[in-house]
Amino acid sequence: MTGDLWRRAAPPLVTFVLGVALAELLIRALDVSPLILPRPSAVWSAATSEAGPLLAALAATARSVLAGLLLSSSVGVAAAVALAASPWMKRAFYPYAIFFQIVPIVAIAPLLVIWFGYGPRAVVAAAAVVSVFPVIANTLAGLLSVDPNLADLFRLHGASRTATLWKLRLPWALPYLLTGLRIAAGLAVIGAIVGEFVGGGGLGVVVLGAMRQQRTDLVFAAIGYASLLGLALFAAVGLASRLALRHWHASEGGER
Amino acid sequence: MQLSGNEAIALEGVHRTFRSEAGGEVPALAGIDLAVARGDFVALLGPSGSGKSTLLRLVAGLDQPQRGVVRRDGSRLAMVFQDAHLLPWRDVLANVSLPLELLGRDAATRRPLAEAAVARVGLADAARRYPAELSGGMRMRASLARALVTEPRLLLLDEPFAALDELTRMSLDDELRRLWREAGLTVLFVTHSIAEAAYLAERVVVLSRRPARIVLDHRVALPAERSAALRAEPAFAREVGVLQDALRAGAAA
Amino acid sequence: MRRILAAALLVLGCASCAKHDEKLQLALNWKPEPEFGGIFEAERLGAFAKHGLAVERTGGPGAPVVQMVTAKQVPFGIASADEVVLARDRGSDVVAVFATYQTNPQGLMTHAARKLDTLEALLHSPGTLAVEPGLPYVKFLEQRYGFGALNVVPYSYSIAPFLTDPTLTQQVFVTAEPIAARRAHADPQVFLVAESGYDPYTAVVIVHGDMLRNDGARVASFVAALREGWRSYLDDPGPANAVMAPLNPEMDADAFRLAAEAQKPLIDVPGGALGEMTAERWAELAGQLQRLGLVKDVQPAASYFANPR
Repeated sequence: MTGDLWRRAAPPLVTFVLGVALAELLIRALDVSPLILPRPSAVWSAATSEAGPLLAALAATARSVLAGLLLSSSVGVAAAVALAASPWMKRAFYPYAIFFQIVPIVAIAPLLVIWFGYGPRAVVAAAAVVSVFPVIANTLAGLLSVDPNLADLFRLHGASRTATLWKLRLPWALPYLLTGLRIAAGLAVIGAIVGEFVGGGGLGVVVLGAMRQQRTDLVFAAIGYASLLGLALFAAVGLASRLALRHWHASEGGER
Repeated sequence: MQLSGNEAIALEGVHRTFRSEAGGEVPALAGIDLAVARGDFVALLGPSGSGKSTLLRLVAGLDQPQRGVVRRDGSRLAMVFQDAHLLPWRDVLANVSLPLELLGRDAATRRPLAEAAVARVGLADAARRYPAELSGGMRMRASLARALVTEPRLLLLDEPFAALDELTRMSLDDELRRLWREAGLTVLFVTHSIAEAAYLAERVVVLSRRPARIVLDHRVALPAERSAALRAEPAFAREVGVLQDALRAGAAA
Repeated sequence: MRRILAAALLVLGCASCAKHDEKLQLALNWKPEPEFGGIFEAERLGAFAKHGLAVERTGGPGAPVVQMVTAKQVPFGIASADEVVLARDRGSDVVAVFATYQTNPQGLMTHAARKLDTLEALLHSPGTLAVEPGLPYVKFLEQRYGFGALNVVPYSYSIAPFLTDPTLTQQVFVTAEPIAARRAHADPQVFLVAESGYDPYTAVVIVHGDMLRNDGARVASFVAALREGWRSYLDDPGPANAVMAPLNPEMDADAFRLAAEAQKPLIDVPGGALGEMTAERWAELAGQLQRLGLVKDVQPAASYFANPR
């Protein structure tokens, strides 16, 4: 298991280290101003010397992201279930779901702050708005792809709509939902930070402040922390996926 | 239900037509009259796409005819499909329990019934395994167990063994006949394999190609005890020949 | 956030980086407004041309002017003095050559109904303070007075939250938001940040140190032309305002007029040369920024600025 983890993690780690080393050399050699592009060593220095405030900001952003994801996944699944109920529902309301994908969060973040006030509520709303569509789209695809023979089987045994939903359709759609969540997680981080630009708090404010004070190294450090958050969420969804779906596919040691 | 005394199923003048994608009409069944006696083992034989599955679904109540009447005697029915169609997130035992769950039986009641059904199809050792870990044959057995767990009186099967290899198929054929006799089921079995129809059934109904009509309704002249050796006997070949001719006639018409 | 997008584009390389023959670009850091009145007036009078310069305006809100001048993508830019000190501390060689505002026009605006007499009283009253994150003067005020129970939130360049929240205080440029607020029938009270002792030159023209050393005559010509423009604009802002108005549809003629009036005392140097700066003020600013922990080292005052003639 650890051998497998190492085999998966080593290649991207190696490319990362090589890329960083190359960037450091180039920036030094070309004497690029730290205001334009900071050296990786300067970014690392900022990331560690300001670790306290950065971690506190990261925690605030992370809380908003998680709350936003909770909101968008529950609303998203409920919406998908409603849309899957009939072709009419889907035709009538799906275009409005698409609205959430195309609306630029930068434009509506100020509106969210007007409606929810400054602070985490607006940030959570921003995170939820940008992350809800992948959940809806993917879960809907899953619900609509349920094996018709299984649906027949349920009908044959007189299953109620509720029983069919909980025992067949939602479990069937789970892999699709998890794929949607994987996408939603990264988007939620973006949404939260943009929300923070207007509503305050977290890494968003750190980034704005650092820009204002010509601290491009700190900007990159903050972006680095945000990326770690995105990665952690991605890995968490991947882990949840593997756990939830571990019986769905033949394992490497399974008999045939 | 106006069925005569010992009838389990009766179809009168059944027509079923589908609308095609192009907007035209595709008639699947054109006037089917069929009665199945309780306890009988009937095979529905026909060319591919001849409406056999449609007929089965009409009997199951999953579909309605455009014209004509489908009657059943109200006894509990179960269905087995071409693929096992097990829920991949449940183990064998939980899959087999599903119909009981849907009927509202509590866990204490479900468990012994499910275990018994699993044992009956010879899967007791695999009860805790998941479908992804099972072979095709084992999955089909699980599907059979699921069909039997509610102790149905009527069993509908739609080419259940078509996707399996020859040996597995033959062994499952034998199991199915054994279950039929032990439980006193009425079985309606759809297949496009002439040999399988002859081997398994007491009565074979041959359908023409679309729009399907009954071409032949034949009582199989083979002993009640069927075994693998039977397949080598001349009597078997004779029955196969009869069915083959009817099938050819129906396909050409 | 616009600054980040702009900086990102910069890093990726901008299409118009090539030098435009003899055209000298001046990067503004906001929309055309009376704070740039002298520039538009100098253009209108032909002052630049008279001094042998072809000047082209560029930039706008959120433009990373300091980065652009540091990278020599534009020869001239508009920034504030504290940005110059911060940038030089990070290793950039930008130098200020002309100061539009002798007195910093930044301030905090709150509702007069709250009857707060001083900046200190304001900062100690509960409520919301909407300011851009990272503004040096905010840190200065916090260090000097303490923020009490204030809820500090980002300012998003709209006075709508101010108009709807009676306990909200926001950053302002005295020539802009207070005028807009009064016209929206609010009753604003403005405290100048300069009153607290933090008073950087504002809307300063910056150049790269190399340009000052290698092409000082051209810089001096630019400053001279700009000075003429400002003198003329202070005397009569009308014509230049008329040029700027169509470029800034958010402000009407009246807003332009009121803003030009409000800023005059902050710009004018009666009997002196407009735009000239002193070493004492730069030394004071650098010292303040160092005490705030925003810069590591204080450079010799003369390295931050020049008064080219």
